[in-house]
Formats: sequence, structure tokens, C-alpha cells
Amino acid sequence: MTTTRGEIQLVELTKRFADVTAVDRIELEIPAGEFFSLLGPSGCGKTTTLRLIAGFEQPTEGQILLDGTDVAYTPPHRRSVNTVFQNYALFPHLNVFDNVAFGLRRAKRPKAEIKERVARALELVQLTGYERRKSSQLSGGQQQRVALARALILNPAVLLLDEPLGALDAKLRKALQLELKGLQQEVGITFLYVTHDQEEALTMSDRLAVMNAGRVEQVGAPQEVYEDPQTVFVADFLGASNLMDATATGAVDGACRVELDRFELRGSAGAADVTGAAKVVIRPERVELEPHGTPTGPNRLPGMVERVVYVGSAIQLIVRAATGDALQALVQNTGKGAPYEQGTPVQIHLPAEALRVLPAGEAESVEED
Amino acid sequence: MTAVAEARRGELSALYRVRGWLRNPWARPRFLVLVTWSYVLWSLVPVLIAVQFSFNATRSRTEWAGFSARWYWGDPVDSVWHDPTLRHAAIQSLKLAGADVLIATPIGVLLAIGLARWTGWGSRPSNFLMLFPLVTPEIVMGVSLLLIFTQVFTFIGTGTIAQILGHVTFSISYVVVIVRGRLFSIGRQYEEAAADLGASPTVALTRVLLPLLTPAIVASAAVVFAISIDDFVISQWLSSGGATDTVPIRIYSATRAAPLPSTNAIATVMMLFTLLSLVLAFLAWRVFTRGERRARAGQTKDLAVFEL
Amino acid sequence: MYRRWLWPGFAFPGVLWLIVLFAVPFYAVIAVAFGTVDPVLLQADPIWNPLNWNAGWILEVLGRLAPGGTFFGVALRTIAYVAIALALSLLIGYPVAYYIARHAGRMKSILLVLIILPLWISYLMRMLAWVNLLASDGYVNRFLTFTHVLSQPRDWLGGQASTVILALVYGYIPYLILPLFAALDRIDQSHLEAARDLGASPWSTFRTVTLPLSKAGILGGAVLITLPMFGDYYTPDIVSGAPRTSMIGNQIDFYFHYGGQPTIGAAITVILAAFLTVLMAYYMWTIHRASREVRTV
Repeated sequence: MTTTRGEIQLVELTKRFADVTAVDRIELEIPAGEFFSLLGPSGCGKTTTLRLIAGFEQPTEGQILLDGTDVAYTPPHRRSVNTVFQNYALFPHLNVFDNVAFGLRRAKRPKAEIKERVARALELVQLTGYERRKSSQLSGGQQQRVALARALILNPAVLLLDEPLGALDAKLRKALQLELKGLQQEVGITFLYVTHDQEEALTMSDRLAVMNAGRVEQVGAPQEVYEDPQTVFVADFLGASNLMDATATGAVDGACRVELDRFELRGSAGAADVTGAAKVVIRPERVELEPHGTPTGPNRLPGMVERVVYVGSAIQLIVRAATGDALQALVQNTGKGAPYEQGTPVQIHLPAEALRVLPAGEAESVEED
Repeated sequence: MTAVAEARRGELSALYRVRGWLRNPWARPRFLVLVTWSYVLWSLVPVLIAVQFSFNATRSRTEWAGFSARWYWGDPVDSVWHDPTLRHAAIQSLKLAGADVLIATPIGVLLAIGLARWTGWGSRPSNFLMLFPLVTPEIVMGVSLLLIFTQVFTFIGTGTIAQILGHVTFSISYVVVIVRGRLFSIGRQYEEAAADLGASPTVALTRVLLPLLTPAIVASAAVVFAISIDDFVISQWLSSGGATDTVPIRIYSATRAAPLPSTNAIATVMMLFTLLSLVLAFLAWRVFTRGERRARAGQTKDLAVFEL
Repeated sequence: MYRRWLWPGFAFPGVLWLIVLFAVPFYAVIAVAFGTVDPVLLQADPIWNPLNWNAGWILEVLGRLAPGGTFFGVALRTIAYVAIALALSLLIGYPVAYYIARHAGRMKSILLVLIILPLWISYLMRMLAWVNLLASDGYVNRFLTFTHVLSQPRDWLGGQASTVILALVYGYIPYLILPLFAALDRIDQSHLEAARDLGASPWSTFRTVTLPLSKAGILGGAVLITLPMFGDYYTPDIVSGAPRTSMIGNQIDFYFHYGGQPTIGAAITVILAAFLTVLMAYYMWTIHRASREVRTV
């Protein structure tokens, strides 16, 4: 008998379809009460993983432990896990009340209890008064909230959300992201959230897993995964990364020495003992630009501003380095315009503590359709 | 600058107007409009005339003599109401159609769901088998059924039972095609949602899938009714004589022998039955899917019914 | 989520029914065709074991179908009727389908209902309508003599090939127009606009874009009407009583119902079915090839 409720453990979880391995020996531990996201491009296996946990697919190998019990072969209607579907899947032939009450009716709860719990659930998602409406009469955001209420009313140990905000416009999505996060903290159960939108995952999660081609590339808190990517894929998937090809020659003074073209740089963010073919990564906001003619120093390259892009809150400068790479530098919009004009020669400074060296051996993710 | 532009525009518009008329992009459709409406008239007017003559006051089917309902119930000998062969034929037709609907619809619905979801060995040949009756010429089916009921299942022989069995055999495929189209547009999401919320597989099927399939079930029942009523070949080949003749058989023999306006009358009556059942099915479909259509933009899903 | 045997279980009653009352009867026809005739009772004696099949009757019928045989004329005539009827149906049906699919605008739904309507009117009633009109004192003759196209009423119903062919067209054309319409309706307007944008004239656009993209519909519709047409016997019976317009279906009908030789009837049926299977196979192969060529993104 365990006191935690909603702890998920995936042990060597594998799912093969005919000739495709959608989920490849995944190991994950999600403590109870966490907002956990599965992030990755289409075809990476995140939705399949979700469906395995929900019970709509059975694993080829491996275990799905819910609070210590393996539920891999338990049918979905007997798992204490509920799902919010991507298209909401509200029953078209039932109204809002009947949709939300559906699970309770299956559990044969008394009428009075159902009425009370539905009222509370609708209050939770701010849809009181909508009981008699049919789902076709609701907006996208409202449908999503009904789907939430319908799932949460059953007090599941875990709530699974399959890209629930995908069908909504940007502004509504942002608002609902905050609402969902607040809801999760209020209700306190484990939320497992699947998305391909890295910004969404970073904003809402306590921790997240980046998936690629059926495997988990990295697990960690948003800040960790963003600042400290362990693989080229993770670095490239979360935010712009300014990837450059280089040859690493091992550690020197605690930093990794790399050769880019004819330039030598040091990178001390991340592992220092990388050798051989490598990629260097630096976030646009850490790229520093100095005027042409500034005395040179370590980790500096000549370059020229190719394009200036105004993004509203910031200004993007696309700079062509002497190595041939196009780098993106991000500068806060201070109201004084871009610091450099298009066509201006500059000196690019890539501070060592912001420069990360990663082994290039990581294969590109194979896009599965 | 503006004055020049305006002057040039004036020139151009005169030229354009002439050229425009000659090169009128609507010219082609005018020919097509003619063909289309001519076709529609050619297609439907003969039937309308036939219906008109069912109300003819004399025995002629070619000379209009005034309006009369004698062929429907007036004439004490030859009207549909009084002529025993016609009445029996009508009853037989309705019997067969009713039995066909009651048997073929459930079998077809189950088959549709089964074929749509079944992925294992045997599903492809079964699907193939289901499609076959749709492309088999009726005479081939008539021959085969006649032989099977006279050589093998001789305890059935020809007659009403054989006719019913024959009707169901060709009707099942229509039900499957119609229900399958609806199944595709529903998808699995509702049953999964139901299961997710605690519904056992049985409940998911009966309380969620079946209600959502209702429009397709009603539509296919109406279609089965219509094709059964209008069926000629199978009914004729499996008929055991006068008592098991259906309306189409009567129309056939009357047309070849000595057609009376009562033939027109009974044909009109059956046609009304068919059209009525189809209208009801269509309305039922519209009512049931009203909410979904509001939520969805595209129309192409409905045409999926015609795709095998 | 569901038990594995649930779906096959659902399909079982239907499949069983179709096997017992569709597949097995098919086999019965073959068994009778490859069987013998009981010399005493003059009844068909089916042979069920393929190893014991007697090809005698099949060969006999094949002989009659060959040039010089008694069925040769009927067979040729059937093919000719079907081919001409198909050609006419396409000639009339394609413009109609095209107009409704692409140019009908507000009238589209109404026209759709109007062309679907004949499908639900009993085939026999539609033929009956024409028998009335084509009678010697019917509207057609009256109109034609009134306008002096004919000097005297013509006997349309007395064994005219043209009457039979036109009746076939009238009867089956709705089954062609519908799949044609579906195919034409599905063509994306943007493809046509792109062609015009790139300099193709309206006729050229039709020829190089619309026609190829509608090929599948044409083939589908063609199959949908030719297969049943080959087995049609009631149309010649109704609009022409004469043997000189009879089709192969009439022969089958004769041998079963009047000639008392079901074995021959079965043999003709088997050969007809084989012929139609070849046609179907050709159709499927063409469709397969066509769908590989025309890849719409």
C-alpha cells in the first residue's frame, strides 16, 4: 500500500508496429504530482507512449508501473488514468452534462452525487451554466474545458493530455497554458502532457523529456534542458541553437578546445573532453557583437551583419561569420534601434562559458510519417 | 497622369467589351447547361408521363382521356385495389422488402464494423467477398441461387423463403458500404474516450458507437428497402409461380403482354413507397448529424459512401 | 482494448452468409456446367469434385460461341450493344457530370437530386414508361409524324437494335454519371487555375488536366454499367420481343426457363462470368497503373 498517488514508471517500454519501432526501450520516472511533458517532433513516439500509458495500445515489451503496479495489460477502463484527447472526443450525441457525467454513470454513482460532482467540475473549469449545450455549440476553448472536466471528475491518479491546445489560436493557447498549469497545482495530480511545441513545454512543465525516433534524448527541468542540452538534437530542438561544425581536440585548462575552419575556440559549457567531429552550440542571446576593429581576443571571429530582423521585443541580427556559418544574435529592443546596420563588418564574440561542445555522432532523426 | 489613365481606361473598356463577348468564358457552360437539362428532362419526363397515364380515364396508355382514379381503386376488376394478382404482388413485394431489411441490416452493420476493425488474416478475403455481390451481374446471381436451391438446398426450393434469402444476399453489401463510410468519419476516438472514462468494451459499443452509427443504419435500411422493392431478376428466378410474384415481375409480364394503366398505377405506388422511405432516411440522417455538420466545414465525407 | 476475436466475431455472420449463399452457389453453377445430364430424367447432374469434372458441356457451348456457332451472333451482338451503349452513355453522361460538378453553382444540389432520382425509380417502371411512349400510337410516333420527320408511325418495339441500345443507355446511364460526378467534383480547382495561369486555354486545360484526373471516374463508371449490361436480358425482352435483338442473357434465360437444359445455361453463365472477370482484372490493372501515374499531392 503506497502513500504516493500518481507515480509513473516506464521500464524498458517498447512498442513495435509491423516494421516500425515507435517506442524504443524507454525508461522514465515521474513522481506523483508533477507536471511532466513529453516533447518532440511528429513521429518521435510521444503520442504512442501516451496511448500505452492510457491503455489504447499494448506494449511489445516492458512495463508500465502506476504506483508500483504494472498496468501494461490492464484494459483502459480499469486504469486510474484519464485522457484529454487532441480533438477532445466529446460525445456528439450527448450534451455537456452527460459528457462530464459519463464516467460517473459507468461507475454507477448515485444521481445526487453525480449532479453535485458535475456542478463542481464545471465550476472548476469555469463552465457553470453550460450543462444543456451540445458540444457543437461550444467554441474550441470551451470544448477543451469540458474535456478536462470530464476527465478530472473521476479523480484519476494521472491525467494524460495529448496536445490539447493544438487546435486553438495563439492567444487562446497562451491563456489556457496558464490556466492548465494553475489547475494542475490546484488539483495536485500528475499531469503527463504531450506536445511538439517547445515553448509550451518549457513554460508549463516541472520537468520534461525530449524524445526523438522512439528514444528519450534528455530528461530534466526546463532550465536544465534548455541551458544544458546533452545532445545536438536537444540543443537544436529547443530554441535556436547556432549549430556549427567543428573538430574538437580535447580538454585544455578545463575547457574544450575546438577548431572551426582556421579559428580556435574554447568551450567550457558542458563536457570538456570531447574529441573528433563535433558541433558547437551557442544560444542567440549569448552571442556578443563588437564593432569591427575592436582589439581581438579569445573566442572571437570576424563577421558581417547580413540581415536585421525586428521581432518586436527583441532584434535578431543574422551575422555571417568568417567560417561561413550564419549565426543568429539576439539583442533586447531598447528602443534605440539595431546596434549594427545591415552590411556592417563586426567582430563576433562567443564567450567560452556560453559555448557548448557536443559530439557530432548523433544521427539526424529519421522522419517517420 | 490621371486624365491619361482615365482616357486609356475608356478605350480599353470598349475593346474589352467586344472581345469579352466573343471570348466569353461562360460560353462553354451554355452548351453544357443545355445538355444537362435536356438530359434531366429526357431522364424524368417519360416517368412523369407514365405516372400521368396511371390516372387515365380510359384503358389507353397513349391517349389521354381525362383524370380518373379508376386504376387505383375505382375499377372493380382491374384496379390495383381490386385485381387480386396486383394486390398479392404488392403484398409479396412488401413482405420481401420488410424481411430483407430486418435480416440484412443487422448482419450488414455487424459485418461493416467487423471488417473495418479487423486486421488479421482473413480480413482481406472477407472484404473482397463482401464487394463481390456489388459487381456481379444479377443474372449470374439468379442462376447460382436457383441452382443452389434446386440442387443442393432442395428443402428450400423456390418461393418466398428463397426470394428472401436471395434478397438478403445482395443487400448485405450495400449496408456494409454505407455503414463503413460513417465508421470512417467517426474514427476510434469516441470509443477510446468512453473506455478511458471507465466504459467496458460492451458499453463503449452499445452506448457510444451504435448511437453514433444510427444515421448510417437508418439510411442503409431505407436503401435495402428500396432495392428490394425494385428487384426483378432475383425475385423472378426464385419465384415459384403466381403467388410469389412481386410487383416488378407483374410489371414485366404486363408490359410484354397487354399493359393496362393499372400497371402504371402499381408501378407508381411502389415508386412512392421507395421515395418515401428514402426521404425519411435522408431526413433522419440530417437530424442526427445536425450537430456534427455545424462543427465541420467539409462536405466530401458524405461522398465517401460511394467509394468502395 | 477490445478482445481480439471481437471483430472477426462481428464479421462472422455476414461472412458465413455470403459464403453459403453467394460463394457456394457460384460453385454450384460451375459444378453444373462441368457436370453431366441425367439421360433418363433429363436433369442437370452436378459434379462437385473438380477432379471429375466433365468439360464436355463447356466445350460444347464454347463451340457454339465460336464463329460459325449458333451463339456466335448473339455474343457478337451483345458485345456490340454494350460497347455502343457505353460509348453513348459516356458521350451524354460526361458533359452532364462535368457541368454539375464544376459549373452548376446554386443548382448543384437540385441537379444532384435529379440525377440520383432515377436510381430509385424501378428499372422496370422506367422501361414501362418508354414502352408506352414508343407504342405505335404513342407520343414519340405522334410527335415524329406531326413534325413530318416520319411519314408514318414506326414500329419501335418490334425488334429494333436501336431501341434496345437506347433503352440500355436510358436504363444504365445514371450509374455512370454518379461516379463520374464524384471524380470530377473531387478535382481541386487550384489545379485548373494553375493550368490557366501557366497559359493553357480552357480546352487545353480540359484535355491535359481535367480529363486525365477524371480517368479513374470514367473507368469506375464504365465498369459499373458494363458488367450488369452484359447480363441484361429483360431490356431486350421488354422493348423488343424479337430473337434478332436478343443478348447473351436471353440465351441463359431461355435454357433455364424454356429450353429445359440448365446445364447449357450454366455453361454459358460460367463462360460469361469468366469473361467478365477478365474485364474486371483489366479494369483493376488499369486503375492501379493510372493511380501511380497521376499522383496528386
